[in-house]
Amino acid sequence: MKILGIDTSSYINTAGLIDGDRILAEVAWEAKNSSLQKIISIIDFTLTSAGLTLEDIEGLAVGIGPGSWTGVRVGVTVGKTFAYIKDIPICGISSLDILAYGARNVSALLCPIIDANRQIVYAALYRPQGDSITQVSEYYVGEITKLLEIIPHNASADEVIFFLGNGASLHRDIIDKTLGPLATYGSQIEDVQRGSIVALLAAHRFDTGESKDSLACLSLAPLYLKESAAQALLTKRESVC
Amino acid sequence: MLILGIETSCDETAAALVADGKVILSNVIASQIDLHAKFGGVVPEIAARQHVEAIGYVIKEAIESAGKTAPEIDAIAVTSKRGLVGSLIVGVAAAKSLAYALRIPLVGIHHIEGHIFANILSHPEMPIPHVCLTVSGGHTMLIYVKDLCKYEVLGDTLDDSAGEALDKIAKFLGLGYPGGPVIDMLSTQGNKSAFNFPRPILRSKRLDFSFSGLKTAVINTTRHTDYHVPDIAASFQEAIVDVLVSKTMKAVLQSVSGAKSGSGTKKKVSAISVTGGVAANRRLRKVFSDRCQQEGLEVFFPQALLCTDNAAMIAAAGYARLRYGEVAGLDLDAIPNAPLESAI
Ligand SMILES: [Zn+2]
Repeated sequence: MKILGIDTSSYINTAGLIDGDRILAEVAWEAKNSSLQKIISIIDFTLTSAGLTLEDIEGLAVGIGPGSWTGVRVGVTVGKTFAYIKDIPICGISSLDILAYGARNVSALLCPIIDANRQIVYAALYRPQGDSITQVSEYYVGEITKLLEIIPHNASADEVIFFLGNGASLHRDIIDKTLGPLATYGSQIEDVQRGSIVALLAAHRFDTGESKDSLACLSLAPLYLKESAAQALLTKRESVC
Repeated sequence: MLILGIETSCDETAAALVADGKVILSNVIASQIDLHAKFGGVVPEIAARQHVEAIGYVIKEAIESAGKTAPEIDAIAVTSKRGLVGSLIVGVAAAKSLAYALRIPLVGIHHIEGHIFANILSHPEMPIPHVCLTVSGGHTMLIYVKDLCKYEVLGDTLDDSAGEALDKIAKFLGLGYPGGPVIDMLSTQGNKSAFNFPRPILRSKRLDFSFSGLKTAVINTTRHTDYHVPDIAASFQEAIVDVLVSKTMKAVLQSVSGAKSGSGTKKKVSAISVTGGVAANRRLRKVFSDRCQQEGLEVFFPQALLCTDNAAMIAAAGYARLRYGEVAGLDLDAIPNAPLESAI
């Protein structure tokens, strides 16, 4: 099954193309504010690099965040529009799942962390299982210090924890201080989403029965984990009244 | 030529199919008014989120309700200029994806140009050149429309748009959101001469607008006098209408004198086009109609569904731009503050 994977949720944007377990093409670029401007040209480059066109694609995979709210809206909109107009099944994948899946060969408790500014992070915990991963916590959004308090409750005694993602490198000092030698880290390569990994994880999900109904694409939405500031203020006000 | 228009510049997710820039086959608008009402105005992050949720359904509905299929579409036109950046991005991303997947041309449209075309679409007989007043919650602009897609901006708002002033005063008086329709309604029960609010006429050469002083005057009045809400609404609305109409008339006169003296490139203008959400205001329509009859001018307003933001107007503008040979690349970006530019 030929699957095109894209992710525009982080500072590195990426597109990748797989066929079964073969990687046919992959591109990554530092996005800054260029997600919208470059995404189609890069998808086109990825497809032509493999000698393919959109018509050859049998499945789509798109990173739904958490991450950059604006960035992720670009990827999700492109993905759902392609899926609808070309009648291709699509699978929305959390950026935390993507990072963890990239480290599925590491035997440790996997903890991808994505920076959400001002000491706030997005995170989740996973365990590698065969050629895949199992999520063992809810998606987390909150202060890094609180996350580090929660992690030991999910880890077995002396279990090594493998941290990855841009939030892991950013908060390395406090992680080391809290968890000591149990904390290990990925390299920069493992800190970012990769288009081919998005596609590989989607292939796995399609194999294990994820819906292939292409109209389901219409309801595909980003995973924000956080309300907008205005909504949060309103919710707070309502709960006080 | 079948064009799919997409518009997501503010808080309406819209898609429409228009044939040959003239015939509206579908015009789908998913409004977010209820979502923003509790905030008393559009919240950009909430608008952007809602656009992503709605965009697929809206495009599907636009194609299907027109009785067409995707391969029959010849080009995509999308609002890529002027608006909330987070909102614009969603429409542009969808439009680029469609143009790429269907291998058809893409054209990026300025939101204000869309409003100009809303009236051209409503009234194909409307003469060109004309002076266009486009007025809504997001903008208040006077434009000399020399030819199709050829513009000279005569005036813009220096602070609040007229629609924004209506929204803010409605919110201040506790009348709800959006303010324009509520004030329009309430004004019919009030005395429009009860209060003599200032008509901010700026003495600049350009025909710019400013409504923040008027807004402050209304708020101050309510603090220092006993008042009947419908009287405030009617008097406030009258001041806004007065400013809009007199500036537009001034613009027409300038165009005429420019033509007579031969100093400018302007031709004699015989028609006024009033567009945008506030063009639905009944008092504005009445005063414009009366003044234009006195002056021997024709005035045009779009049909109701084309007053507020919609995608049919974007498709119509796209048709005209494509006829000038304008096509956007797949690197088309969203530019929130782009100026209105003429076609080359
Ligand atoms: Zn508008």
